[in-house]
Amino acid sequence: MPRARSTPALPAELSIYTVAETRTAWLDWLAGVSAAPPAKLRAVNAAHVDVVDGAGVQLLLSIDRSLRQRGAALRLAAPSATLSAACEALGAGALLAEGSPA
Amino acid sequence: MNDADQSFIAEALPAFVSEALEQIAGIEQLLLQLEDAPDDRELLDALFRCAHTVKGSAGIFGLDAVVSFTHHVESLLDRLRDGVVRLTPALSTLLLKSNDQIRALVDAAAGGRPASAAQRAEGEALVAELGRAAGMAAAPAPAPSAPTPATPRWHVSVRFGPDTFRNGMDPLAILNYLRGLGRIVAIACDAEAVPSLEAIDPESCHLGFELGLETDATRDRIEAAFSFVREDVALQIIAPDADPADFVRLIESLPQTPRLGDILVSVGAISFEQLARCVARQGDLAATDAAATPPLGEILQKEAGVHPQVVAAALNKQQTTRDAGAPPAADEQRFIRVQADRLDAVINLLGELVIAGAGAALLARQSRQETLIEANEQIGQLIEEIRNGTLQLRMVPIGETFARFRRVVRDTAAELGKDVALEIVGGDTELDKSVVERIADPLMHLVRNALDHGLETAAQRVAAGKPAQGRLTLSACHDAGSIVIRIRDDGRGIARDKVLARAWERGLLEPGVTPPDADILKLIFEPGFSTAETVTNLSGRGVGMDVVRRNIEALRGTVTVHSEPGQGACIEIRLPLTLAIIDGFLVGVGASKFIFPLASVLEVIESRDATDTPDAQGRMIMELRGQVLPVVSLRALYGLDSAPPDRVSVLVVKAGASTYGVMVDTLLGQHQTVIKPLSRMFRSLRGISGSSILGNGEVALIFDVNSLSLLAAESSARHARVATPS
Repeated sequence: MPRARSTPALPAELSIYTVAETRTAWLDWLAGVSAAPPAKLRAVNAAHVDVVDGAGVQLLLSIDRSLRQRGAALRLAAPSATLSAACEALGAGALLAEGSPA
Repeated sequence: MNDADQSFIAEALPAFVSEALEQIAGIEQLLLQLEDAPDDRELLDALFRCAHTVKGSAGIFGLDAVVSFTHHVESLLDRLRDGVVRLTPALSTLLLKSNDQIRALVDAAAGGRPASAAQRAEGEALVAELGRAAGMAAAPAPAPSAPTPATPRWHVSVRFGPDTFRNGMDPLAILNYLRGLGRIVAIACDAEAVPSLEAIDPESCHLGFELGLETDATRDRIEAAFSFVREDVALQIIAPDADPADFVRLIESLPQTPRLGDILVSVGAISFEQLARCVARQGDLAATDAAATPPLGEILQKEAGVHPQVVAAALNKQQTTRDAGAPPAADEQRFIRVQADRLDAVINLLGELVIAGAGAALLARQSRQETLIEANEQIGQLIEEIRNGTLQLRMVPIGETFARFRRVVRDTAAELGKDVALEIVGGDTELDKSVVERIADPLMHLVRNALDHGLETAAQRVAAGKPAQGRLTLSACHDAGSIVIRIRDDGRGIARDKVLARAWERGLLEPGVTPPDADILKLIFEPGFSTAETVTNLSGRGVGMDVVRRNIEALRGTVTVHSEPGQGACIEIRLPLTLAIIDGFLVGVGASKFIFPLASVLEVIESRDATDTPDAQGRMIMELRGQVLPVVSLRALYGLDSAPPDRVSVLVVKAGASTYGVMVDTLLGQHQTVIKPLSRMFRSLRGISGSSILGNGEVALIFDVNSLSLLAAESSARHARVATPS
């Protein structure tokens, strides 16, 4: 059953080279979200991301969008400095959880 | 890297190599163009993009040698773009050499071999030089100048194209670069444009931004930050003192519609507070009755007092987007890359189809069945159309080949201490790709020759009362079914007495015999005329002009030379447009069939009495509308042993600048001719360029009108020489 799935952590590299793979992994997880009890914010462990580019941030926005369609939203928990900087730089600071090192 | 990656790379590598080589050729052309316009920003940007693309795609294939070397070139180009370094001729030479190095590295990668030791040494030397040229120390990161409150605030609206990531570009890097120009005071990502995880192609770029930028930089500098992606980005920059009309235009031109309110906020037309109030109100209304939701624009106008002009534009935009439904497909399908051998296979088959079609048409005529004949005629017409269309696919402009000579001329002239300008005329003239490929070497030789022997040094030119800069012109044009390529220089011309002296010395002519002027120049194409002694390593490479002529004749072409002492020389190459299939005119002499290229046939004179008798070489003269027309009889020229008929016909053909007649027995009319090469045995047959198979299986020989005219004209001279041994 999909609801047993735990939230995957973000990979160390979140870039054009890994977005296709990452998307597949998160689609699986997303299938479980609809069945899960509603929670406003979905915190995702983002501490290990040390390579990120525009495609990576775009994927996060896409995940966020899918969650919003399910009445939730994405929050990056303890994001690495690289990831925070990239999100801020691309006007996607809303994804960062409060208390991020930004 | 796993096996799948390995096999992907092995498959994709040839495509990378061919594209990289194109980019490298592009870099060379841009550098040469920049020499004439060192401050052209567009050229510099384009140059930078080419280098960056090579580096980026080499990175994907893990070609580290290419990446690291190109990186140094890129750094120098960056300094050029920033105006820190200026493009001098020496710098241009360095960059051209570096480009050669990139090409060598890509070639090495294509061959799967590591760079040779010599190549590595060369590379290291170039890297050191590039470093020196770039001013040693790494460029300091553009200091974000602390903007004073008075710093102008620009508005930048950008939507990156879907291929941005695939082209190796990253909006994050571009925005970071932009940040170097000043301070980004506000940035909003157009999150609505990013599809949900289920729908997204994560490797396509859907990112778009609206941002406020405080900077003292000019519009050009801001635009330059996007120069890598210029072809694939919707970019709008609104100046600090813009009026609402500019925002209206921005809204109208945005490719996709984020929600209206977002647009207005992001462009700064209204404040967030104003919007929030409107959104909240719309939300309330939606909760009560979704269908009756008043347009947000209406609310905005009422509640926020937004400029009505701005709202109208935004509404209009939303409407048109809805009407249009799916976004219009870009015209990206304009070019298809096709492997040349697939095209060749089709053309070969087409040749067989033409022959088979002719055979079927012949059988139909013999059967005397009207309907069958008609059906065959229709098929014949279709075949002809397919033929024309297919051959057109192989036509490429000769300009690319010509452009390669810019570098040759530049380097060779520099090496010889000469100042030469290359002019290219008619670069868009098209001819068959296989001809283009095979003409490049002879052209190279002729160009080097003109630079080496034809053009003088600046001092010599000034002394001769000519401008110091020599001029070399490469031109191409179509003429009567052929393409004419001319290599013209304004140098010293070809000294006839020297040519003559050498011909006597080499035993090409009996010493003391002086042929007519026109024939003297032709001697330079004789085998054995140019030797290692006369050929420098520049024009030489061990081949003489006879090899050039042989190469051109192998393409069914002719080469002639004109020279004006002191004024320069012109070498004219005349080539058939295609090597595959032509429209021919079929004639008969006795039992033999011959074909003339239809494009060279001016008119036919049918059935005259065969009263005049040609001389021993088959030549005679007739009158055509008051003009004297030299006529050659094929029967006599080739010694065909069949009885001459009572009546003959004359074909008037055009060969270059001259016109002459060819006497034949019968005119058999137009014929689609598939050119088959002559076997080795017949290759030395002069005047004949190929053979063709007729519908009934007979073989017809195809004439080359130019060499036929030369053959007919020279037979007297040769005869005279043989007849009068001294």
